[in-house]
Formats: sequence, structure tokens, C-alpha cells
Amino acid sequence: MPKYLVVFAQAHQEFRVPELESVAQLYNFKISLSDEPEERDPSRPFMIIELESENHVQLLAKRCILIKSIYEFYGRGSTYDELHLRNRAKRHMWERYIPKTSFKFIVAAYNHKIPQHRQKEVVEDFAYMGFMGKIDMKTPEITLGCFEEYVTRNGQTRERHEGDGDFLQVYFGRLIEEGTARPLVQLFDVKKRSYFGNTSMEAEISLLMANQTLACSGKLIYDPFMGTGSMAYPVAYFGAQVMGSDIDGRQMRGKQTTPGVFRAASQYGVTPRIIDICTFDVTNNPWRCGGLFDAIVTDPPCKYFILFLEPTDGVRAGAKRLGRKKELDADRLAVHLMHSDDSPYIPPTRPYELSDLAVDLVLLARYLLKPGGRLVFFLPTVTDQYEEVDIATMLCDGMEVIANSLQDFGSWGRRLVTIRKVTSELYPPPDFSIRDPEVKDETQRVPAHRHFREKYFQGFKKTEEVEAENLSHLP
Amino acid sequence: MVRLLTHNLLACHVKGCTSNNFPLQFQNAQIELREADFNTDFLKNFLPKLEWKALLGDTSLPLEQPEMLDDEFLKNLHHVLLEIHVEEGSMTCPNCKHSYPISNGIPNMLLAEHEIG
Repeated sequence: MPKYLVVFAQAHQEFRVPELESVAQLYNFKISLSDEPEERDPSRPFMIIELESENHVQLLAKRCILIKSIYEFYGRGSTYDELHLRNRAKRHMWERYIPKTSFKFIVAAYNHKIPQHRQKEVVEDFAYMGFMGKIDMKTPEITLGCFEEYVTRNGQTRERHEGDGDFLQVYFGRLIEEGTARPLVQLFDVKKRSYFGNTSMEAEISLLMANQTLACSGKLIYDPFMGTGSMAYPVAYFGAQVMGSDIDGRQMRGKQTTPGVFRAASQYGVTPRIIDICTFDVTNNPWRCGGLFDAIVTDPPCKYFILFLEPTDGVRAGAKRLGRKKELDADRLAVHLMHSDDSPYIPPTRPYELSDLAVDLVLLARYLLKPGGRLVFFLPTVTDQYEEVDIATMLCDGMEVIANSLQDFGSWGRRLVTIRKVTSELYPPPDFSIRDPEVKDETQRVPAHRHFREKYFQGFKKTEEVEAENLSHLP
Repeated sequence: MVRLLTHNLLACHVKGCTSNNFPLQFQNAQIELREADFNTDFLKNFLPKLEWKALLGDTSLPLEQPEMLDDEFLKNLHHVLLEIHVEEGSMTCPNCKHSYPISNGIPNMLLAEHEIG
């Protein structure tokens, strides 16, 4: 298969490969990455992939948020001599451009800036290709790209251009397609949205999640914790129909007559594809049957990233579900029910532990998804305590993890988890039974996302430290 | 904007209300018609989940679900499922009579404390 050089945008490294694979699956084509772990290291901004046809390049460039551009791959090397040797051997790939094609050269580097005089030298060294067309910097017929990759030298002071030429690898190829999905990050910018809340998901991540759902025209996708609708807009933009629900109707409505979610949707021209938004608690949901949705995409409550603005108050109130923390006794319940015909009725809610929510969400997805459907959601975890098995603790039969990418914030992070329904068996709806926090199975591992919110407010201290601190408050 | 598509998917979920709890009956419904993009793939994709007998709407659709999906049928189905919106009113359970209010097109399907299981 022909080889292509992918140039990634400098963001969300761990999401690069899952996104490539999702988009390839969406359009039903094959994508091969190198078998060498070093070559498929997602932290490197250049990756060589194999595709069956150039059409597939266009599909990737049109849909992948993290792709900057894709080149037809001519060669690479750890020195220019090596690169030129390989490029000469690929003469059959570029000789048709020799006679009269206008062209342009780009010489760039990652983690480095190449001084101008050497950029010129690099271009001149390609003279053996003997291109006779004119150089056209504005509208060339072809663009040739030469990229040097340097190791990161963050945090070190250095002279300008220090270490120039001391690169890991240099890559060379012909531009086929600039990524056209990346500008969507600007289009969906939350600050420019007509309706949003303090927990709205930032545009880039919501677009990445939309790609993980394989959203496209003809599909029906559900968000059970819709909030201000951040997940719905990109999914609908990619052509899917969206259904949303939230326990708190105020989040979806906002203060004006036209509900906020519809106001924001109209900004992106997707209102007709937001099928409906309903107020209900997903643990007491009115869905008539299962197997309804092609994907479920959600950002479960327990938000954390706003804390950079308000360090003391950022973690949004944890998730809630219907019920009470403590059951009322018969007398008080009777009194309560006498008054419970207030309109609109606002039922009491109880906190919903994140690790319970995650387990329930997977069970719910198994019930509500069609076979092959995907559940895509974010899970905050404590970095020190996270282990691969944490994700496994929330799985059930028939559900398989296909991607798990970390967005790292240091002592904590959040994981974009993609789970696929691999069964076509029918399962009953989950019973959402309330798990007794007091009953502990000592042999079982406590996942790192359990009590995330509490851990957040304790600054991710180890249990002993917290206990020591609590003791120190005693007189 | 409770569309008839959504109405076709919602059942009463009050604790213990498990039979004759679907379809919910509209009361005092204020209806609006709004155009939506016609999407054959979506309709065909959704059709296996549709409960034909519960489908309200106009006389453009046959009483029995047809075997053949011609263009005219799909156009009519599209109109009924996606272009008829109930903006205000309520939906009542035929069994337990629980009433789910609709306001600004958003149905409130929340249950009261004594209704959850």
C-alpha cells in the first residue's frame, strides 16, 4: 500500500491514533501503522501510515481534528545523505512533475527553528530532482515539504538555533491535502457560542469525541447528561440526529423562552437535527425499549477543568440522581407528599458516586445501543492511583474498550474512553440499584476515579496524609 | 418540541406501572409544524424500532405498516415523525394517569419521590 506522511497538530497526542482509526472505520477503509512501537509513538508529530488510495487521504484530512496536513511520502533519514539517497530511489513517484509543474518548498522543524540561510541550503540540496517548472509561492501546483524532527528541549535555556541540524529524523514528501477539520475548533469555540455554561466542554475535545462516536448522516446519537449541549453540536454538525436528556432542565433551557440548546444549535445550523431534549434522570428513564441508538456520547457530571479559574469552587457539584441521602420515616414522608403537588415539582436528589455512575453508564449503553454501537465518555482519574484495570472494573459482558486516551493535567487527568458494544444479544435495562458504600469487598481494587471529587478537594493527598491532617485538627 | 418520533419512544416509568403504560396520551397539545431535512437513511435506520400502532399523526399513513418503502411513504413518514412538534401540553399515562408536562417543547419526565423504584 502507498505510504503517506501525516503531520499532526500540536495537541492531544494520545488522541491521534484513536481518531485516525475511528475515521477510517467510519468510512470503512483500512489504515496501517508501522509495527515498530517507536514508529507509532503518538507523541511524535510525524507519522507514516499506509492507505489503499488517495481518496482515503482526503477523507482523513476532511474529518480528523488533529491532522494538520498529509503528504505523499518520498523518504526520510537520520541525515540528509540518507534522505536524498532514498528520495532518488523514489524518482518514479515525482518525475512527472519535472517538466513544467510549478512548485513550492516548505522547510520546517518540530521543536526547533531552522535559520533562514540553512533553509535555503536545504532547498538547494534538492537540486538533483531537476524541477523545471517555475517556483510559485502563492498558488503552486505542488508543494514539497521537508520536516526536521528534534527532541524536545523544553525548560532548557539555549542559544537561538543552538543544535541546528542535530535532528532525530528528517521527512520529505509532496503535499496532498491540508487538514480542513481543524478550523472547526474555531467554529465551535465555546466563547463564541450563544448559549453555554460553566461546565461546557471545550470545542476541540467535543469534536474529538464526536469523531469517536463515528457520527454521520442517518445515525441517532444520545447524550444522557446533556447539560448545555456541548456534545450535541459537533455530533449534529457531522450529520447525526441527536437526542438529549438531563436531570436538570434548567441547564438545557437557560433563561429565555427558546431553550438555550436550540439557540446554540441554530448558530451551527443544526437545530433540525436535535430531535428532542427531555428532562429526566437517566437512572429513572422512560425509554420504551433498548437498541435505539448508534452511539452514546456524554461528559458525565463532576467537572473539574474550570477550577483553573476558581481554585476553590471549580469541581461542579457531583452527579445527582433521584432519591434521598437518607430515607424519610413514614410520618415525615406523609407530610412531604401532602406538599408535593407544587408546580413544577422539583424532586429531591442524592449524590451519585462517579465510579457507580461509570458502571451504570456501561450497563445502560449495552441496553440502549445497537450492536456495534459506541459509548464515548470522559472519566476523571487520579494519575498516581490510576491503573489499566480501572477501566476494566466498569466493563460488563458484551462491552469492549477500543480506546482510552489520557488528557494529562499533572496530579489528575481525564480519560476519553471509547467502548464498543460487541454483542447482539438482548440484555435487560440496568436496575441502577444503589450500592451501599459501607459494604466493601477488601479483595477488590478501588478504581482511581472513585471519590474523585473528594480526592480533588483534598489535593490528591494519600489517605495517610489526610488522616494525619484530620488528627492534627483535634485539640 | 416533542416530536412524534420521541413520543413513540417514551413510556410511563412510574414504579410498578409496567403494562398499558404506552403510548402516552397527549392532552391540551399545542402543535407547531417545522420543516426538517429529509433523510432516507435515518428513516430506514429508525424504522425497525418504530411502534407502528402507537404512531399518531395524520391520514397520510396507512393503518398497517407497509412492507414496501416507496418515496411517497417515506416522505409522509418523515413529516409525521420529524416535522410535527408538540410545544405545550402534557402526556398522560393510560394506566396510572401520571401526567408529564411539556413546556417550551421540553417534556418533563421526572418522577416524584414516591414514584421511583
